[in-house]
Amino acid sequence: MSLWLRRLLLVEWSGLAAAIVAGAGALAFIAPNFLTEFNLYVMLRSLSVPLLVAFAQMITLGVGQMNIAVGAIGGLVAIAFGGMMEVYGVPLGLAIPLALAIGALSGLINGLLIVRTGINAFIITLATGSAFTGINFGITGSIPFYKMPPALSGFGDQHWSAMPYLLVAPLIVAALLGLFFSRLAPGRQLLAFGGNPHAAELSGISRGRVVMTAHVLSGLLAAVAAVLAVAQLGSAQPTIGADWLLLSFAAPIIGGAALTGGYISVLGTMFAVFLIGLIQNGMVLAKVDPYWVQFVLGALILAAVGLNRWRAVNSGTA
Amino acid sequence: MNLVIESVSKSFPGVRALDGVSLDLKAGEIHALMGENGAGKSTLIKIVTGLYRPDSGRVLLDGQPVAFGSPRDALAAGVSAVHQERNLIPRFSVGENILLERLPTRNGLVDYGAVEREARRYLGLLDRGIDPRAEVRHLSVAQMQIVEIAKALSLEAKILLLDEPTASITEHETAALFKLLKQLRNDGVAIVFVSHKLEEVFAIADRVTVLRDGKNVATGAPMAEMTRQKLVSLMIGREERVAQMGERAVDRAQIVLEARGLSTSLGHREIDLALHRGEILGLYGLVGAGRSELARAMLGAGRISGGELRVRGEAARIRDMHEALARFRIGYVSEDRKQEGLILMHSIKDNVAITIWRRLANALGLINPRSETRAVAPFIRRLEIRAPSLGQPVGNLSGGNQQKVSIAKWLAANADILIIDEPTVGIDIKTKTYLHELIGEIAREGVSILLISSDMAEMITLADRILVMHGFRLVGEVANDHRYETTSQAIMGRIHAVEAAVG
Amino acid sequence: MTDEAFGETPARRRVNFGVVSAQLGLVLIIAGFWTVFSIRAPGFLSSFNLFTVGRALAIDIVIGFAQMVVLATGGMNLSVGAIGVCAVMMGGYLMQTLGLPVPVAMAGALALGGALGWLNGFVITRTGVNSFIITLASANLFSGAMLIVTKAVPLNALPPEVGAFGKARIAGFVSPLLLIALGICAVLFVLYRYSALGRNILAAGANARAAAMSGVPVGRVVTISHGLSGVLAAIAGMMVVTRLGAAMPSVGGDDWLLPSFLGPVLGGTLLSGGAVAVVGTMLGALLVTTIRSGLLVLQIGNFWLQLYLGLILLLAVLVDRYRALYAERHGIAR
Repeated sequence: MSLWLRRLLLVEWSGLAAAIVAGAGALAFIAPNFLTEFNLYVMLRSLSVPLLVAFAQMITLGVGQMNIAVGAIGGLVAIAFGGMMEVYGVPLGLAIPLALAIGALSGLINGLLIVRTGINAFIITLATGSAFTGINFGITGSIPFYKMPPALSGFGDQHWSAMPYLLVAPLIVAALLGLFFSRLAPGRQLLAFGGNPHAAELSGISRGRVVMTAHVLSGLLAAVAAVLAVAQLGSAQPTIGADWLLLSFAAPIIGGAALTGGYISVLGTMFAVFLIGLIQNGMVLAKVDPYWVQFVLGALILAAVGLNRWRAVNSGTA
Repeated sequence: MNLVIESVSKSFPGVRALDGVSLDLKAGEIHALMGENGAGKSTLIKIVTGLYRPDSGRVLLDGQPVAFGSPRDALAAGVSAVHQERNLIPRFSVGENILLERLPTRNGLVDYGAVEREARRYLGLLDRGIDPRAEVRHLSVAQMQIVEIAKALSLEAKILLLDEPTASITEHETAALFKLLKQLRNDGVAIVFVSHKLEEVFAIADRVTVLRDGKNVATGAPMAEMTRQKLVSLMIGREERVAQMGERAVDRAQIVLEARGLSTSLGHREIDLALHRGEILGLYGLVGAGRSELARAMLGAGRISGGELRVRGEAARIRDMHEALARFRIGYVSEDRKQEGLILMHSIKDNVAITIWRRLANALGLINPRSETRAVAPFIRRLEIRAPSLGQPVGNLSGGNQQKVSIAKWLAANADILIIDEPTVGIDIKTKTYLHELIGEIAREGVSILLISSDMAEMITLADRILVMHGFRLVGEVANDHRYETTSQAIMGRIHAVEAAVG
Repeated sequence: MTDEAFGETPARRRVNFGVVSAQLGLVLIIAGFWTVFSIRAPGFLSSFNLFTVGRALAIDIVIGFAQMVVLATGGMNLSVGAIGVCAVMMGGYLMQTLGLPVPVAMAGALALGGALGWLNGFVITRTGVNSFIITLASANLFSGAMLIVTKAVPLNALPPEVGAFGKARIAGFVSPLLLIALGICAVLFVLYRYSALGRNILAAGANARAAAMSGVPVGRVVTISHGLSGVLAAIAGMMVVTRLGAAMPSVGGDDWLLPSFLGPVLGGTLLSGGAVAVVGTMLGALLVTTIRSGLLVLQIGNFWLQLYLGLILLLAVLVDRYRALYAERHGIAR
């Protein structure tokens, strides 16, 4: 293999970028309406919520843990958000921060339980996820809140050329996360803990603080995703978040995150979500059986993991 | 700043690590802390740095009692340590690792330029070759240790604790380190230097405290009054005496395990060795000589890159331990008994029977628990493993009993060729003597043993012949007359010859 | 020289303090719930309800076992639901489309389950990649493939004996599915307690490195465990088919994920591997089914079910944690 190609493949997200370029190119060729403003708008809009969901999980992966409750928090926040506006007439401007606070609080509960009891994050969030979903369905009886403020659903539809307004928030979050994890000390400490918890503690990094921060942020991002989902759908459905879990892991992992913690890639995660969205969009346009999406997702995960392993072996760190 | 440790005790399940230990460290001195493996040195360091809480006794800093709840507290008080294990963040850069708890910032953002500059300053004192921007996971073991030392230095602590800091680094780097330590001492820093290398202790220490089996046998003795013999006898409780094992017949005609011109992907070149039936063949070397790696390569042929391995006269490629045992009746007592030799959460019975489950199973694959106990019992008795019941989790046993269990399973398996790697590290004297006798006994019964050890006295006690390894090569073979002075000098002579040639 | 010298009585198996007390606790809690429910709603103990509960329980038990056998190796199987639905559709296809006799079709479905599970195990041991990721990928691959092949068309015209089996009652209130589940429980119990393979699996799960160094064929036993998981998932799938009387592509999937963990975790199986509680898994599933059924019968609104389950799971792991700390402090084996 030529040195140039080899070096390129070793860059973390190069595989994804290449796949995206190749995929988009193929699609533009196969389906004439791929490059229309409307289609691009639709596709980009569909990325908004998944991006935030992926980021929510990415943070917990960064500290070497998992947040199984990410979808459950999303659902709970969604109905709380919709409910407080429809039933209690809370104005939108107040409902949004309250909804985010609920998400952060849920994350705080998770973090507290994990730190205080010392029990595996997987189990704790499995349990709290179940509890949150229970509260969700208990309150709503599975009935959505349909009367959302027009400003909200309007926002969900508006766009500037192909760029949906909805996508702006995730992009800002991405930039902030990128900054947080690469240039801010607390972010570096989170990753340090994920990379080697014992070493981090020896250096005085507090396990409790790191774990709580990660889970609060995770809950917060899940809440942002929920608010956007409500805007996108135009109603607060209790089922929001029900299908978030697998995607929340798939995207960061395809993006190169280490399951054991200590390494995540904001850019890689974004590319992964983009690629998945591209594939889904392409399937619709090419009138491919939509059932192929799941299959391709699984194949993507394997390919990404395989590439990462190849990389590890070839850069001498396996 | 000075540090006083007053009568500190600490126990873990099954073992009393420290029993009323004291140490007084003055500002501006290098104080050596010595003792055999398992004597309690690391535990003491961990108590001072706040990783463990003592069961009793206290620690005083400048006369004030302190009880650090965490390493962070210790750091804040000016106490910093370099531990035996590596504690670095693999995907972070060298610089970031060094400055981890106090990353310099500018306008709120981490200032990587400053990180690099600071790191270079401290690295430069030890090894200018390490790039502060390199990711730690790409470094060699020696380089990682240098980074750890640089990190401790950069904290500019008043009290510095170093636990085996020279274990993996070269002589050149050691010299640089010692120069540095002396300078720090002259500047008033109080340094504790843990080591079991006598030459190093004589080179830089001012005073020495010696621990044995968790107790003080010397406290703050001035090095000026110390001799090598005195120090050694303090550490091991006796003169460097070699136990006399009875005569043993070695069948020179039968070669059970042989390596011919063996080279491995790990760096071994042209290794020739021949183990005879009933023989104890010693493989001596310092840490990092490549002995364990050689054993592993032989047992997992994937890493053999040249030459040939023969078992009982026939050429063989061993795929893994499963094949080694099932097909060739070779056993391997690992040097890392806690991670590799034993399954700590399982019972004694499970740990001993693990090698014979297949044999105990009937046609349906089922095992009768009673026959399992019956099969295991004789070995428990023979090795005098002390425990209230066979169902005890092995993790609760003392180091000595644990090691007995890890050997028992190979005896139960009827292994005919046994590779034993550092059998008595961290084990009390009594058990050590017992194990030596046991090894002699099983060799007498016809088991052929390849003994890997860096314990000179042990090697000279047990081995019939001693191969010397250094830098992944065989550098000599020494006949063993079982006399310490002559044989040890012959061995060390071989190693020094190689070092001199390298220059 | 007898075994007594080592604190063992020959006639009785060594009693494991930790596990027994956990299971005793569960039994008491379950008994408590049954008492409360049957007092508040006499219909709870009706033969119809017992039958329905028993049938749902059987399925949950087997799903729990499918996850448990992988937890034993220190890994997880996120594709339990996906393998289940693949087996369901394969079974339906063999029975209905190909017209094969029912037992043959079911055997085929189990074979598929085993093959898919084996595939998971093979990839995991060959690549060394975490089972979480591999089974996450394979869950999508298997479901996706199934959807592509079947086009999500349910198979409703199965031979009548299939649905009849699902509706059959023994002694008026016991479903044959429950007996099958109990039978599987017995087999697994013997496997882990009395067989060489079971011991090898637990050793590999507790400390793969040490097990490998002691001659345990770790790769082989992990692959076997995954294959077994696939077979068990397929069995659960077949049970659902008999209950529904049809092969539906909506079965399994993510729905099985939570139940597959609840049973084992509540019952005391360690997530980290190396220890399983077969009877505990059954009790855990029983607890979950009890609560679900109780809420239904009491008409407390099924919607709050998830909350109670979550809280109970939390409580159970907290109790377990403190028990483990206690046991450790007093040197008792788990």
